[in-house]
Amino acid sequence: MSAVADIPAPRSGLFDQVLDKLLSGRGIWPAVPAIVVLVVVAVIPFAILLSLGFSDVEVARGAIVSQDFTLTHLAGALTDPLYWITFQRSLSLALTTTALCVLLGYPVAYMFVIGGKWTRRAILILTIAPLLTSGIVRTYAWLVILGGRGVVNATLMNLGLIDQPLRIMNTHWAVLIGMVQIHLPVMILPLIAVMARHDGGLLEASANLGASRLATLRTVILPLSAPGIGTGAALVFTLSYTTFVVPQLLGGGNYLNAATMVYEQVVFSLDWSKGSVSSLILMATCLIVLVGIALLTNLATRWTKGRAA
Amino acid sequence: MRAMRKSSLGDILGIGVILAVAVFSLLLLVAPSIIVLIISFDTRAFVSFPPEGFTLRWYAEVFEQGELVGAMWTSLKVGLMVTLLCVALGVPTALACVRGRFRGTTALSVFVLLPHMVPGIVLGVAVLFAGALVGVSPSIWLQAISIAVFVMAVMVRTVQSRLMRLDAALEEAATNLGATSFQALRTITFPLLLPAILAGAVFTFVEGFDNLSVAIFTHGFRDRPLPVELLALVQYTSTPLVAAVSGVQILLAVLALAVVARTIGLDGVNE
Repeated sequence: MSAVADIPAPRSGLFDQVLDKLLSGRGIWPAVPAIVVLVVVAVIPFAILLSLGFSDVEVARGAIVSQDFTLTHLAGALTDPLYWITFQRSLSLALTTTALCVLLGYPVAYMFVIGGKWTRRAILILTIAPLLTSGIVRTYAWLVILGGRGVVNATLMNLGLIDQPLRIMNTHWAVLIGMVQIHLPVMILPLIAVMARHDGGLLEASANLGASRLATLRTVILPLSAPGIGTGAALVFTLSYTTFVVPQLLGGGNYLNAATMVYEQVVFSLDWSKGSVSSLILMATCLIVLVGIALLTNLATRWTKGRAA
Repeated sequence: MRAMRKSSLGDILGIGVILAVAVFSLLLLVAPSIIVLIISFDTRAFVSFPPEGFTLRWYAEVFEQGELVGAMWTSLKVGLMVTLLCVALGVPTALACVRGRFRGTTALSVFVLLPHMVPGIVLGVAVLFAGALVGVSPSIWLQAISIAVFVMAVMVRTVQSRLMRLDAALEEAATNLGATSFQALRTITFPLLLPAILAGAVFTFVEGFDNLSVAIFTHGFRDRPLPVELLALVQYTSTPLVAAVSGVQILLAVLALAVVARTIGLDGVNE
């Protein structure tokens, strides 16, 4: 018997012993359940979606009975003007939303950087609280504000500036306003995260060297926050490009965007092939823009680093 | 002492404009919620502003409406199921990613983040189609598991970033002193990870409670979750009833925020 045996072994049941074996090897084991679930619920479904978009499928009793590779669904979508109009509209709406979110969100993040403890706390609360509130609730608020008897119209009419309610609801503008307000927090948070990392000393140094506030913002803070703008833009773009709450509620019945189109094809027309192709185009275009945003961010970061060197 | 800044008129104007935009943005963030709260107490049966009187009638009606209460329960259950799944699957995954000594830890981290990069509606459609092919129809279970897969990245990332800043030597010391790996994990690492797990739990719960993009394709037709019910309600009613539901949700959000602020601090959210 070796000396080690004299040390009382930790008392543990079979369950503990099994867990211990799995953990002590520092192997992949703890991640296996998650991997299995991800493969079953994400990877395989996605592969099926992909195959449905590129095949003539006959589905009977819940199983595919025949499946031939074809590009007809994709070709059909690409030659359908409705698809072009819809995707173009969604893309431009999402890109405008993203740009406006940068313009409105950046000053908030700047205020966070230069602000004191209470300013910072207030900004965090005002930014996080809406994220915890339902998107539908926040969209509904715009119905209340922009509607025929809504806040804006009531105020303008009470002031005697107009005598007929303005038609704001069910227009492109209503959708844009809703999109920007709902996705603004998603832009502000990454900006703050990046900018807060470099606070204090750097600003102090810049000021000590005689730079004005604006010069400090332009030459120190802005270049450092490029990655934050990139992350925020990617998030806002993806969310606003693929949402259907805002267009559905604020755009009215005829305002079709990419997401509402997918929804109608899948839930109302029950057209699997069209639904698959639209989902795939939605994802592909989203990916292309995201790669573009990443490249731009990379370029901006390198350019500012080159200038600093 | 601070050095003199070179402040010109342009400088002051520039900063002034920036701060004005910031204040405008912050007002824009809260104004809609505040207006909805005000509307929810209005005595009139149609939505209009400013309100004419004060009543709690719409709140009472929310709780009298069977569908709404049912939808709230469904969403509550889904939120809890999503949270449990994300804790059970995500925390061990984060451990493997950070503390694992096998090839492909990076690949694993990327793999786990992927479903969150796919737009929610694409994942929802994919799960719906795949389920239909193998004979699994939409249900509360399908909804919960697909949302969990969608947001697990949040849990993994939060726990991962906390774990990376923990000293691995703490655990090693424990095992050298005779603790088993599991005991070290349970008594040393796990308590230190708890704030990160809580933060992840709050966000995965909110996502499970309030997800529309995945849920609209995967929810069971007998148990509609709150977002789906609300979407229909907003489209087809014009009473302040929805404002009252919103009021309840805003209250829940404030509660969640308080929990976050108490447990991990507001800054912890942004890690």
